[in-house]
Amino acid sequence: MTDADLIARVLSREDQNAFAELVRRYQSPVRAFLARMTRGDTHLADDLAQETFVKAWRKLHTYRGGARFSTWLFGIAVNEFRNVARQRKELALDELDDVAPQENQTAADSRSQLHLDLTEALTRLHSGERAAIVLCCQNGLTHEEAAQVLDCPLGTVKTNVMRGKEKLKRWLLGYQDYEPA
Amino acid sequence: MNQPEKDDPVEALLQEQNQYVNDDGFTARVMGALPRRRHGAWVRPAVLLGAAAIGSVLAAWWLPWGNLPPLDWSAVDSLDFQALMPWMSMLLVAASIVWAVVAALQWDD
Repeated sequence: MTDADLIARVLSREDQNAFAELVRRYQSPVRAFLARMTRGDTHLADDLAQETFVKAWRKLHTYRGGARFSTWLFGIAVNEFRNVARQRKELALDELDDVAPQENQTAADSRSQLHLDLTEALTRLHSGERAAIVLCCQNGLTHEEAAQVLDCPLGTVKTNVMRGKEKLKRWLLGYQDYEPA
Repeated sequence: MNQPEKDDPVEALLQEQNQYVNDDGFTARVMGALPRRRHGAWVRPAVLLGAAAIGSVLAAWWLPWGNLPPLDWSAVDSLDFQALMPWMSMLLVAASIVWAVVAALQWDD
């Protein structure tokens, strides 16, 4: 059953099973995105993700179907994160020090180490860069979709993706030798 | 549309690290937290909009628009509330109607 079918069932019959299926489909990308945005605070990320889906339930009648459902959901998730970030200074801190997280390390010595380094490096990105990278490079959104989600100009998204990747390359010393599994 | 750069190791690393997050009861928690949908949720904004429309008609009909004293700017400067009272009343009525219309149109259950 497509997303559109499920949404139609929710709207016409208030079918909770159909909405549960939508939650099951999108809980992983939404929770993972929010975990990145909260710098690994999975409890907060899950609270925000829960609120994201509750808002989606309440506002589903406003979803026009012009954008992918995932894009619409990510938009709500970004707003939830921004609301919390306004109140919590540690989240509002944008870029941490622009230095390599493992500066003393000569090279990442293993695949798992490189993954750990990437997790750490992502937390150090400017939140705009981190959001753009996670949306575009991990969740497959187009730059246009990411601009819509983040409510910012297309050029800003492109710049943030480019700058973010440049920083990751600079910080991840072992990435050049990386071969996808 | 931006295509993933297949030869970019950083992008490959990012995609590989994008692992599935197990549900672990998350969906059940969300479903338990859903507010009950209210049948006829349109009624309250419709009532508010109707009341605003009726208020507008009554205001247009009954308020003494033609008998308003000319606005005395010196009274504004000196904050002479007695002289400004008719205008303030009109302003209050107009603001109430505008507020009611905006609230009805932006009603979010």
